Amino acid sequence: MKKTKLVFSIVREQSIFMTVVISVLSFLSVLALGIALSVGTGVMRWNNAWERYATVQVMNTENTANIKKIFEENTSKIESVKEISKSEMERMMKSWVSSGAKISNYLPQMFEVKFKSANDMKIIGEKISQKAKFIPHSAALKNSISAGWKLVSITIFVMLLMLASIGVCVSCISRNIALLHKHELEILNQVGATDKFIANQMQIMVAKISAIACLIGFVVAIPILELILSTAHSARVGLLATLTLSGIDIIALCGLPVFIVIFAVYLTKRTTLKLLAGK
Amino acid sequence: MEDKTIISFANVSANYDGKHDVLTDVSFNISNGAFYFLTGASGAGKTTLLRLIYQLHKPASGTIRLFGRECNELSRDDISALRHKMAIVFQSYSLISHMTVFDNVALPLRVRGFSNDKIKKLVTKTLEWVGLGKFANMYPMELSGGQQQRVSVARAIIIQPEILIADEPTGNLDDENASRLMELFIQMNKMLGTTVILATHNKKLLETYKFPVITVDNHHVTFAGAADKTESLRRWKGPQPQNYFADLSKQLEEIGKDK
Repeated sequence: MKKTKLVFSIVREQSIFMTVVISVLSFLSVLALGIALSVGTGVMRWNNAWERYATVQVMNTENTANIKKIFEENTSKIESVKEISKSEMERMMKSWVSSGAKISNYLPQMFEVKFKSANDMKIIGEKISQKAKFIPHSAALKNSISAGWKLVSITIFVMLLMLASIGVCVSCISRNIALLHKHELEILNQVGATDKFIANQMQIMVAKISAIACLIGFVVAIPILELILSTAHSARVGLLATLTLSGIDIIALCGLPVFIVIFAVYLTKRTTLKLLAGK
Repeated sequence: MEDKTIISFANVSANYDGKHDVLTDVSFNISNGAFYFLTGASGAGKTTLLRLIYQLHKPASGTIRLFGRECNELSRDDISALRHKMAIVFQSYSLISHMTVFDNVALPLRVRGFSNDKIKKLVTKTLEWVGLGKFANMYPMELSGGQQQRVSVARAIIIQPEILIADEPTGNLDDENASRLMELFIQMNKMLGTTVILATHNKKLLETYKFPVITVDNHHVTFAGAADKTESLRRWKGPQPQNYFADLSKQLEEIGKDK
């Protein structure tokens, strides 16, 4: 069995410093990615939840029969129709209308319609809008969804910032380690070690440190992410309540520390080879 | 042994930082299996000459050929490959302080990708030969200067180099240890046919062993004495071919055949 024995011995302070820095940065990266993914998934679910709903307002009651006829003719495209009764509407509107007025005289006939698909809603919506007001629910949620996607962009930007910080950090530490071990590098050169062999030694060392650091960062970040999501769910309604992590999101989250380790190892190799070549 | 040129310098000049000339227009050839002393005043350029041979320093001009191969345009990987056939011993030992004696001696083998089993056999044998078998698990700082120098020599000979360069290896040693070290080098030269270039200030060594001398003076080199191997052997009073080195040489070869 061949086993590579490390020539470099990273001093304790360097090792602790590198572990702490990568732990903190990977913790923040996992947290940022977790928030980005949960908001993204939440926005998509929320969007999906409302994209098949619409309210039909029949202002001219003579058209009610025509609208009902459209519903009956398209039962294959409509999942459900709920007619909102005058008394229910009156109860809902009462607080906004003065007590002396006869509200029912001013209220339109309203239906809450759930379509089988977004495409069905588009087709039927075009027919209905000729005779009544057709209001897709998603139109009312546009601002919230847009804000959600902006939040996703910001958190992804934060995560990329963290990854860039890890890159700079690993690159500087690798350079320092190589410079601190100049004596060992010279001896390795003297005994015929290739640059690849030396870089490999550095890579093994950085891989071990960054794997431990990423594990620490990940283990700390996951419960905090869970806490954030459960706090968001306590809102019960709205976009916050829909924040969640799908199976793919969890795989992506687990993959991030692995990516960070590979990234750190690659950067170490690159930095060491450049340093050895005197660039 | 075939008498062919193994080291060739043609009009080689060397300087540091492009300013301070150390060697100017140096030309010489060294044959395979020769043993040379390299001498000269401090700062004359002995170490620079050795560094040029070992490819640790690039010449400002001229051509260096090692093993018949021109070295000026070699890549870093090619130079590493060349160093697989050479070894260097410094006065300062150049040992890695956080590694044990065993691991220091094993270093050239690890670099060459030998398996742990082979490394163990080779290192144990070589350490026994240099008289450090019991010190394998100790750290360099726990050893005397003479012992550290022997570790450095063990690391150099373990790969059976074709060229051995030693820069003042006896500088920190007493007479007894210096003689012991010389015996090691001479045995290598006689038994393995290793070409040895040994830089020294020690006049006693020069007078005792009477090998041909390369003198570095005023940026130039001069040669004195013939590289007559028969004569060298006749002068050699140490252990003879049937000794431990013959056994070691055979074993190193056997173990090293299959990495």
